[in-house]
Amino acid sequence: MGETGAVDRRGLRSLTALGKGRGGFRLAGLFGPRLRKGTLRTVFFAPALLLIVFLVVYPVLQTVYLSFISVTGAPTLGNYQDVLSDPETINPHLSWPPPLGTLLHNALWVAIHLPISLLFGLWLALILREVKGAWIVKSAIFLGMVTPMIVGGVILRFLFETGPGIVPSFFQALGIRSLGVSWLNYRETALLGLIFGSVWLWTGFSLIIYSAGLTTIPKDYFEAAKIDGTPPFRMFFRITLPLLKPMTLVIITMTLLWELKIFDIVYSAVGATGGTRGSVDVLSLQMFNYFVASKYNLAAAVATLLTLLTLVATAFLFRRMVKP
Amino acid sequence: MSSGAADYVPARTSGRLIAIVVALLIITNVVTAVGVYYASVPPKAGETITVIGPWAGSEMAKFLPVLDAFTNSTGIKVSYSIARQEDLKTILPVQFAAQRAPGDVIFMVSSFIKDQGPKGNVLDLTSVVDKTGYSAGALDPVTGTDGKIYGAVYTGKVKPGFWFRPSFFAAHSLSKPTNWTEFTNLLAQIKSIPGIVNPIVSGDGVGWPLSDVTEHFIATYGGASMHRNLTAGTQKWNGTAVHDLFASKIVPLLAAGDFSQPLTWDSTAINGWWNNQYALYFMGSWITGMTPPVDSADLDVFSLPTVSGVTPGVVFAADYFFIPKYTAKVDAAKQLLRFLASKDGQTVQVKQGGHLATVLGVATSAYPAVDAKVAQTLTGKEVLSDLDDTKGEPFQSNFWSQLKGLWTSPDPAGDLNSILDSIQSKA
Amino acid sequence: MKVRWPKIRPKTIVIHVVAWGVALAWIIPFLGVLSTATRPATEVTFGWWQLDPYHPTLDNFIKALTQPTYSVSKGYLNSLIIAVPGTVIPLFVAALAGYGFSRFSFPMRHYIFLAIVLLMSVPAQMVAIPVFQIMVNLNLVDSQLALILLHTAWGLPWIILFMRNFFTALPLEVEEAARVDGASDFRIFFRIVLPMAIPAFASAGILQFMWVWNDFFFALILIFSPEKMPATLLVPKLAASQLITDWGLLSAGSILVLLVPLALYVVLQQYYIRGMIGWTIKG
Repeated sequence: MGETGAVDRRGLRSLTALGKGRGGFRLAGLFGPRLRKGTLRTVFFAPALLLIVFLVVYPVLQTVYLSFISVTGAPTLGNYQDVLSDPETINPHLSWPPPLGTLLHNALWVAIHLPISLLFGLWLALILREVKGAWIVKSAIFLGMVTPMIVGGVILRFLFETGPGIVPSFFQALGIRSLGVSWLNYRETALLGLIFGSVWLWTGFSLIIYSAGLTTIPKDYFEAAKIDGTPPFRMFFRITLPLLKPMTLVIITMTLLWELKIFDIVYSAVGATGGTRGSVDVLSLQMFNYFVASKYNLAAAVATLLTLLTLVATAFLFRRMVKP
Repeated sequence: MSSGAADYVPARTSGRLIAIVVALLIITNVVTAVGVYYASVPPKAGETITVIGPWAGSEMAKFLPVLDAFTNSTGIKVSYSIARQEDLKTILPVQFAAQRAPGDVIFMVSSFIKDQGPKGNVLDLTSVVDKTGYSAGALDPVTGTDGKIYGAVYTGKVKPGFWFRPSFFAAHSLSKPTNWTEFTNLLAQIKSIPGIVNPIVSGDGVGWPLSDVTEHFIATYGGASMHRNLTAGTQKWNGTAVHDLFASKIVPLLAAGDFSQPLTWDSTAINGWWNNQYALYFMGSWITGMTPPVDSADLDVFSLPTVSGVTPGVVFAADYFFIPKYTAKVDAAKQLLRFLASKDGQTVQVKQGGHLATVLGVATSAYPAVDAKVAQTLTGKEVLSDLDDTKGEPFQSNFWSQLKGLWTSPDPAGDLNSILDSIQSKA
Repeated sequence: MKVRWPKIRPKTIVIHVVAWGVALAWIIPFLGVLSTATRPATEVTFGWWQLDPYHPTLDNFIKALTQPTYSVSKGYLNSLIIAVPGTVIPLFVAALAGYGFSRFSFPMRHYIFLAIVLLMSVPAQMVAIPVFQIMVNLNLVDSQLALILLHTAWGLPWIILFMRNFFTALPLEVEEAARVDGASDFRIFFRIVLPMAIPAFASAGILQFMWVWNDFFFALILIFSPEKMPATLLVPKLAASQLITDWGLLSAGSILVLLVPLALYVVLQQYYIRGMIGWTIKG
């Protein structure tokens, strides 16, 4: 059994068997079936392509188009000029504390959140290999990933609020009065508070991925290394880490995407204005505010900028993931 | 290392079962979708109209009797929906762009109504509302430059000054200040009392408490004229006069820790104040209704002491409301609007306490006793409308945000210039 | 029979203490929310860890579920109306396309597939304005159907990638055999391949369901009427009053909204995890 394409006597019998009297495929000559096969095959793709073209591709193109025209419809680069020169995007007086501008806030978010959650997840994954009941620990840490991010923002707001929240009271008890305030009201602490809060929410992601990844490394590698007398550090850097590279790539990409697009947490923690003097303003919030103010062209420009950033960030991973 | 291949379950003869399950899922989804489509048809217009207001909890409990009185006299049922005005600021423009509205009568900031009127999203009420029946200027914030009246005015609240507990003052031999020096002395006295965190508690909510107390300073020491000029945009926030006012009156208090950090008005601020962790609370007259924990028998208020040569003002914040063009029940909505704007409606509201009528002819006997104390603070003052409500967006959100920045700054004097510049940039 | 106790080394104890300590610390904020939700709001004014007056109550939950304008029970219903079709439809549509990309060869296959996958990295903000205008034109704005369609289209790129990887990993023999017997593509797909794909459906399905349920931004853009709001959109509204933040109500509402994805995760954890790591360990 089994040469593709050829239809022989046995095939004929099974044809009728499979056909079940519904007509099946008849030997209609070489062109018939192949042509029908071709057109029928497009049906596999039709619904998906239709939806994607109408609700994803067309809107993306339309947004790009909007960003390059002015309110009157004339082509212009003015929107980008306006956005990039707006102090809301990049604050000309570059000094701590925030606001530094949405671009820089997102950048800071990436710079702090990505390494910490990645390394922390890795370290936890490594430790938890030897812990009994590790799945409970993992689930506890992963809880944040399951939470809708809007609820995450509420939890963070609650966490940092003087009175009901635990963080200010903690620092008050320690005597550090400057941190014993509502973190989200103060420019110095608002952004950092949310960033660390998001680490708390998102570390579960890298933990789970690394945990799974670690289990796929065959034990023999370690056995062999141990026999050779390799010290644990060397084993980690020479064996574990390189084998975890695909996971690392995925974690970096997904986390990067998430941080660039961050919206829900900020919206529910500090509201649509982006915090005191804009100290927690982020790109997607900026875009949303333009949208609400009906400044569609500016909103489109911000969105396109954001997309450019995400495309660059994910270029590497996707090449890997898509290799056939 | 293909988890995919290792995962698949070889096809068993339950193929038919699976086909049935899939079919069922698809059918239920189709049914749901169809049902949803029909369910999203607007409900039949029985005589029920929707009012949208910002009040919830105990504030809402004071508004409902007014709606009940309306239903009793007209038979039209009213359903009340809560929406914060800061949310409506983002929701309404988007809805209007889609030719919809979330309610039939909507309470909203006056600047928003005035802005939306010429855009055609709001009903023209010039023939419905009679200006002469109201205190002078009450309808100006919702009158467009074309002369048309786009909103109606409801009751309002005054923002008289700093509220305190007479029992607390008596226990510590404190008294109401009559000049600025006495005021700063009072603050110093309070600061030395054990248990006090800061003398003045700064509510925060969404930002309006800080702007309210700032306006009080402006109206008292810059005078009603400065307040009006800033509202109209004829005076600059970063000009010398305003800068000096901030620098000499507000910033020193902030630097000395006389104001608390901005507290969200959940129970923290008001409970803290009532429990004597803070002594003074700048609030509007609605505080008399915040029971619990407030006990209106142990409540009094004083305004910032005035200086000679400056005519002070007091902010009277009326609530404005409008009818969106996209409502289906115009007549019923107009009836409710007339009622709320009338003597009958406003008398019911005023009786609940904490509100002041804008319509002329409401008897003084209708007001509860504690509101009389508020009335005392109004003598000799000109009536002003709320600055940031009148100016609206993009000024308001930025104003609130910048003030919060001033309050939370470790060096308010140093940051003052950039903050005033920022405020002016969106003025 | 000799019973051998495992040698408990100090290192092991330290590791256990650290690990469990981390777990405990991680849970604390959730404990805080839970505590606030189950007590009257005034009790937690000065900290939910103050157990001085402690009166457990379900009042906040009841208030959240029966809130006149933004009741969580209505939110649940809306979220379900959006999430169930918003999961099942894209799963099915993407399985078709993913199978096609995996098995059929045609010109430009690789580039089209790449283009579709590239769409995955596009942020939601990129399509917000035109989608809003499309829905206004179709008179679908402020309807659950709009969200269902949008979520379906939005989920397709990554589910197609997922399915395609899955199908590529399936050995060809079974399908080849059927093809030799002359079965049509559809027959092969529906009778043979789909049943084998059930675990993939479970993994992709739970991920998509969670994504749709947890979505906030699309709902914010498209839904305005309180009675159509999905649960996530309600959460900020529960801090509803102009003047007061009721932490008890807000916490209770948050927990209720959190419960569904949490329950799903607990029940279908394996598939969820497998779905997530499907990214990395490509079949």
